[in-house]
Amino acid sequence: MDKGKILSRSIWVFHFASAACNNCDIEIIDALTPRFDLERFGIKLVGSIRHADCLLVSGIMNEKGATRLKFLYDIAPKPLAVVTFGSCGASGGLFTNSYNFYGPPDKIIPVDAYIPGCPPRPEAIIDGIVKVVKKLRTVRCVM
Amino acid sequence: MIEDIVKEKLGKRVLNWVKRNERRYYIEIRKEDLEESVKILFKDLELRFSIASGVDTIDNFEILYHFSADREDKFFSLRVKISKENPEVPSISGIITAAKWIEREIWELLGINFTGHPELKKLLLPESWPEGVCPLRKDYNKNV
Repeated sequence: MDKGKILSRSIWVFHFASAACNNCDIEIIDALTPRFDLERFGIKLVGSIRHADCLLVSGIMNEKGATRLKFLYDIAPKPLAVVTFGSCGASGGLFTNSYNFYGPPDKIIPVDAYIPGCPPRPEAIIDGIVKVVKKLRTVRCVM
Repeated sequence: MIEDIVKEKLGKRVLNWVKRNERRYYIEIRKEDLEESVKILFKDLELRFSIASGVDTIDNFEILYHFSADREDKFFSLRVKISKENPEVPSISGIITAAKWIEREIWELLGINFTGHPELKKLLLPESWPEGVCPLRKDYNKNV
């Protein structure tokens, strides 16, 4: 039984925003609401990491955010797809020289897909979801 | 008009009155007059306290207290200049309870002491951050 393939039909997402400027958070809501309507594929935001199939990370990691991200990843039930959102998630964006920058998220947890942009357009978010679905169905995600 | 009422009530305390445009007024006062000016603006004229912002200009520190007149759509900012040798200013959290957290943030990031504040402790920085190191000062070097 391939769990990844079954989950790819309707992915439940847990959104973790640490020290974010909130533009990326607004774009996530824009992608899910009826204009671009990703909710028709069964993708929805959940309130607890224990119910989630995908961990969506936005914002830069400072020390408080990094300890909590590691903790969330440890208690999340596997298989889990980890997606980082925006240029802050890919490399730190324009905050790499800041006094509290701890490192990009892929130094802390393994990442499956990156969605570039500052903030990413909803079309780029849809492209990122296609990447995640393909990966869940063919290659094994974090198990 | 509200700006005439403010100017008349503050009276002699105004050192400098700048009108940036129709909605924005900057008022410079001494830090000894801060508590009375805040009482006049907050309690008598019933303006809304919006936020306070701290700045490190290289010669000294400045704190701006922003008050909003919502019905007339105008903003008044009280500017207080503080010397760098002994950075201290009286706290306004006795008059406005909502100022407690912003004064904690200015204290931990710029190092300005607020006398009379009930509990001055860290708000944003992690517990492992060393004491006395203020990241938003101009002479902060993160490689040291």
